Amino acid sequence: MLKVQNIDVFYNKIHAIKDVSFEVKEGEVVTLIGANGAGKTTILKTISKLLEPTNGVILFRDEPITKITSHQLVYLGLAHVPEGRRIFSKMSVFENLQMGAYIRNDKSQIDADLEKIFHYFPRLKERINQPAGTLSGGEQQMLSIGRALMSRPKLMLMDEPSMGLAPLLVQEIFNIIQTIKNEGTTILLVEQNANKALQVADRAYVLETGKVIKSGTAKELMEDDSIKKAYLGG
Amino acid sequence: MILFLQQMINGLSVGSIYALIALGYTMVYGIIKLINFAHGEIMMAGAYFAFLIAITTNLPFPLVLVFSMIMAAILGMFTEYIAYKPLRNAPRISALITAIGVSFFLQNLALVIFKANPKIMPELIVKKPISIGALKIGTVTLTTLVLSIIFMIILDIFVKKTKPGKAMRAVSEDKEAAMLMGINVDRTISITFAIGSALGALGGVLYSITYTQVFPTMGVMPGLKAFVAAVLGGIGLIPGAVLGGFVIGMIETVSKAYISSQWSDAIVFGLLIIVLLFKPTGILGKNEKEKV
Repeated sequence: MLKVQNIDVFYNKIHAIKDVSFEVKEGEVVTLIGANGAGKTTILKTISKLLEPTNGVILFRDEPITKITSHQLVYLGLAHVPEGRRIFSKMSVFENLQMGAYIRNDKSQIDADLEKIFHYFPRLKERINQPAGTLSGGEQQMLSIGRALMSRPKLMLMDEPSMGLAPLLVQEIFNIIQTIKNEGTTILLVEQNANKALQVADRAYVLETGKVIKSGTAKELMEDDSIKKAYLGG
Repeated sequence: MILFLQQMINGLSVGSIYALIALGYTMVYGIIKLINFAHGEIMMAGAYFAFLIAITTNLPFPLVLVFSMIMAAILGMFTEYIAYKPLRNAPRISALITAIGVSFFLQNLALVIFKANPKIMPELIVKKPISIGALKIGTVTLTTLVLSIIFMIILDIFVKKTKPGKAMRAVSEDKEAAMLMGINVDRTISITFAIGSALGALGGVLYSITYTQVFPTMGVMPGLKAFVAAVLGGIGLIPGAVLGGFVIGMIETVSKAYISSQWSDAIVFGLLIIVLLFKPTGILGKNEKEKV
């Protein structure tokens, strides 16, 4: 589904990503874990072409994305739930979801998917005509995920979906990630909450200052002593 | 009383022209945070396009209007492509200075092509007064008001109900997030310039019919007042531009009629200063806070 091969990325002249390679196979949930500033967000932004790598190649569904722009990637099946939610706050909840389905024209299918999103997140339905900016942080995160799902992605990039949320909401968000996974969508998840991320993931890569320092199945990493100490709180 | 009502209608008519031009300022500002100082010149170009079509063909007024709006839309997209797009990621001041440059360029280009002396705009709308009770309203005044309101309603529907209109709002809020939805941001910006320029041309044509002249610097003063209207209403907000336009038009007309025509501009700009002192974001502007 996604192959990242030896990429280097500079972010404001800082060498943020150094020779990073990893892979996400169809149907998998892969997580990138690491501390603040390890380069997780930079990697996701590079995959969705908001940033350009100086070296290396990214293959999405076996095609190099070198000459493809961000908005074209959506048509190829990539969705990105960005850090900080980035919902359109002056537009209504409904319009935000419509923007998620921007690339689609199959109205009846779009309506069916809307129902599905409202089934996942009943609270969004209650607030359907409210400006998205009036939602609580958790609701905005739900909207951001729902919006990304509206494009019917093959691969979903999720950047810190649990950031800044109360524990109950964090659980709710991870339940949804599990549901999305069960429905067959491939997910690349970036999280600081390594514990939760490893529970839902199949495989994981550990990042430190722009480099992959460890990788393995989620199970292996959960039992790894150094990982336990550094990221899982003992 | 009748005289006052008469003045109010004139004010609304002048105001609707300012509102049309202000829409172009506010839409462009909304989407790329640029004060497009060349917008007054797009309005001037629209008036010249109409003038050229009118003197070379026998087309009726609606077609003259449509063609001049299309030509201005193309000119607007072209200036964006040539002058502003390469500066998309440059500091905002660079684009602003460029806009001033484009403004001078278009003004001087018109000066070279058409010379400085004003041309008489053909009488595209037959001028005669229409009586409504004791009120007498000119056909030009009425057409201006009606056409402006029709186009404002069309714009409102476009922005609120259509897919490209919603994409425009999405881009104006968050370009990166819009890209992640699959929205072609460059094309959306281009469409915004096209619409703003077409509305500016409509304003220009109506202005030149009202004052019966076209000349290379005709865009400067109405352009400036429309800019003031956009800021007064709240820059970046479409209803703000409309409200600001009407407010400026009314105040200008009323102060010309009852105070002094020499003072009217000073009063208009003085009002801007007062409003901005108390509400820096304009009449409809809000200070929005981000939710954590």
